[in-house]
Amino acid sequence: MLEHLGKELAFRFTVGGVEITFHPVVIAVALAVAVVLVAISLWLRRGLPVNADDPPSRRAVFLAAAVDLFENQLLGGISPRLVRQLLPFVMTLFFYVLLCNWAGVVPIPYIVAPTQDLNVSMGLALLVYAMTHYYGVRSKGIGRHLKGYVEPFPFLLPLNIVGDLGRTLSHGFRLFGNILGGAILMVVAPTAMMSISAAMVPVVGSALGWAWRVPLSLILNGWFGLAFGVIQAFVFTLLAVAYIQVSAD
Amino acid sequence: MEGEALVTAAKFLAAGICMGLGAIGPGLGEGIVGAHALDAMARQPEMANTLLRTMVIADAIAETTGIYSLLVALVLLFVV
Repeated sequence: MLEHLGKELAFRFTVGGVEITFHPVVIAVALAVAVVLVAISLWLRRGLPVNADDPPSRRAVFLAAAVDLFENQLLGGISPRLVRQLLPFVMTLFFYVLLCNWAGVVPIPYIVAPTQDLNVSMGLALLVYAMTHYYGVRSKGIGRHLKGYVEPFPFLLPLNIVGDLGRTLSHGFRLFGNILGGAILMVVAPTAMMSISAAMVPVVGSALGWAWRVPLSLILNGWFGLAFGVIQAFVFTLLAVAYIQVSAD
Repeated sequence: MEGEALVTAAKFLAAGICMGLGAIGPGLGEGIVGAHALDAMARQPEMANTLLRTMVIADAIAETTGIYSLLVALVLLFVV
């Protein structure tokens, strides 16, 4: 039932007894999302006024509003000196995760949301983990950053390390689990409803199932694809900002 | 039942129990968080932006165990 999740197109290599699996569809969609993002940003930048005195174009106003929204919503609670440093990374992360989630609703077979592959979402979580250390070392120096692991008491060091790893694991698994769960539900629910309808309604059961399938799929795609995509991208980015801020303060 | 069928049946049953019980905690937790956040937003609407951000972070933390049970259920269904 779940064959279309793109896993059957995998390439498998065995290097020194370790099996390495590549999912070309996931890689292609993830790269395509990056290309689309670069194209959109280039297109938006082209409309910017050259001189500061020129009347603002529509794209410039849109960009200013978007940056303002991100500064207030995502970066509102963190220390002001970090806001400008973090803004490009945070906006890129948000739009990348958002478009990756939305790629799942494209009605082409084998096209899946890259974030429903554990490699992509855990990779993004590890990127955020690396950024927490980068900003921790940058704002506090390496000594004080490492000293944060033996506070409040030195014997809590293992607990701090486990907490760090568990935080990153749950950060990646949250995105992966939410998107994969939505994708599975989008496949299972219409199929289950068709068989239930065929079993319960005597004559027109399977026709009724097909008639229901279209609006149900639309609703599920709209809710679990588009709405949950926004919510999960927002949560992922918000948690990334919170982790970086905790590490940097 | 034969051994193979028994294992399959136990797998599906375990996945169902895992997801069903695992969803109780996050559901309760997120409900409490959302209720109190709404309470606070109704008292102080000007704090709504800050509260929303904190609420989403608290929701995400409450959700973690639910995500773990979803993962266990997925592993039971598709990997084991």
